[in-house]
Amino acid sequence: MHQLFKEVHELFLATQFTGFLSQTTTRQDLYEFSNIFFKHLTWLENDFIKNEVEYSYSVNNVPLKVTQLSHMLNNILERISSVEKQLESCKDEHITFRMRSDFNYIIEAIKNMPDEEVASAFDTKRDYPNVELTDEARDALTVFLFEETYKEYELIMVYNYSKANSRDAFLNRIFQILIDESFFHLRSFGQMMADMGILGVPRSLMEEIYKFDDLKQFLKDGIQEEIGAKEECKRLAEAVSSSSEYFAAFFTFINNQENYHIALMEEALAYIEG
Amino acid sequence: MDGNEQLVKHMMDPQNYGEMKDNDAIGMGKNPKNGEKVAIYLKVNRDGEEPVIEDISFQAIGCSTTIVSGSIITSEARDITFSRADELISITLGMLDNVPAEEAACTEMVALALKASIDTYLEREKDSEFPMISYMINNDCTPKEESEDAPTV
Repeated sequence: MHQLFKEVHELFLATQFTGFLSQTTTRQDLYEFSNIFFKHLTWLENDFIKNEVEYSYSVNNVPLKVTQLSHMLNNILERISSVEKQLESCKDEHITFRMRSDFNYIIEAIKNMPDEEVASAFDTKRDYPNVELTDEARDALTVFLFEETYKEYELIMVYNYSKANSRDAFLNRIFQILIDESFFHLRSFGQMMADMGILGVPRSLMEEIYKFDDLKQFLKDGIQEEIGAKEECKRLAEAVSSSSEYFAAFFTFINNQENYHIALMEEALAYIEG
Repeated sequence: MDGNEQLVKHMMDPQNYGEMKDNDAIGMGKNPKNGEKVAIYLKVNRDGEEPVIEDISFQAIGCSTTIVSGSIITSEARDITFSRADELISITLGMLDNVPAEEAACTEMVALALKASIDTYLEREKDSEFPMISYMINNDCTPKEESEDAPTV
């Protein structure tokens, strides 16, 4: 079942990042399907935990660089087919029945998605539509997007692992909010990467990132990282403010959202410390 | 293709990234100040006079610069002898002498991970139970005002 788990994880990533390629309503449909695949991942994860089986979030690199959306849509269909062939390795028939049912619907929906040209998502031009960026702002934005896209994916998986392995309802409420918030940020930054022609799927996580012993320390470090991210957003907002009011407003908005994340982590920290 | 474009391509698609399960040796480069680290995995061909790096991969907890350095250095290290890899490490570390510490730290971490993996392999030729070697970097990429309270994850 470890191979099944890994392939479902890769299917989730492939579908989520293919969503960034589309400029039509297909994007939203792929977001929804990636949500469903992520849910599948959590079902399988729960089965591991129930049966006390060790598992990891290790995945292979997910190639994404294509010229037509249909290439990735076909790739997703192939991935689903491969996952279907391995479903029997999961002994919980309720899980596999639900997964098969979801796949039946999703396969047909993907087959009917219109093709699009998507080469611009990988052309490395680093221009942003309707925005004039200085070289300095362009470089800062490029590094920020790579750092933060990986970071948001990391946070989704870290909080998901913590939630899956905890039975504490108070903490799990906070973890779920942080997962949802990170999904929103991942999607915002992923779309920007595609618009700038620098889209790539985040690298696989090292185990020790999510299998940590000290939640208290993790939260303390996380608060410091959020403070750092706030500063970076502030710097970026200033760097792009002369060329784009929209951009400046966006980064101010993200900056302020970090306050909420910090408040949630502080709430969790206070709860743990009693 | 200009330098920037090449770097962006490495960020978009890092080469040789990932764990290698059937490795012959692993080495680690670490930043003791903030918990950042690079692991390098080697598969070594011992058929010739000198060991040759037949396959190589890396994983990292670090920033984009670390990933780009890992992608470039592991690409350069593939299919070369250990003595050529030693030269690559020396040249890389030598180039960092004139680079500000916070910029040099990430590349130093990758170069030291490669050195650690080679040294681990050589030690294991003498003692198969020899533990993985880790080397700490000298440069510090943490801005001064943050270095007291640096995040570790």
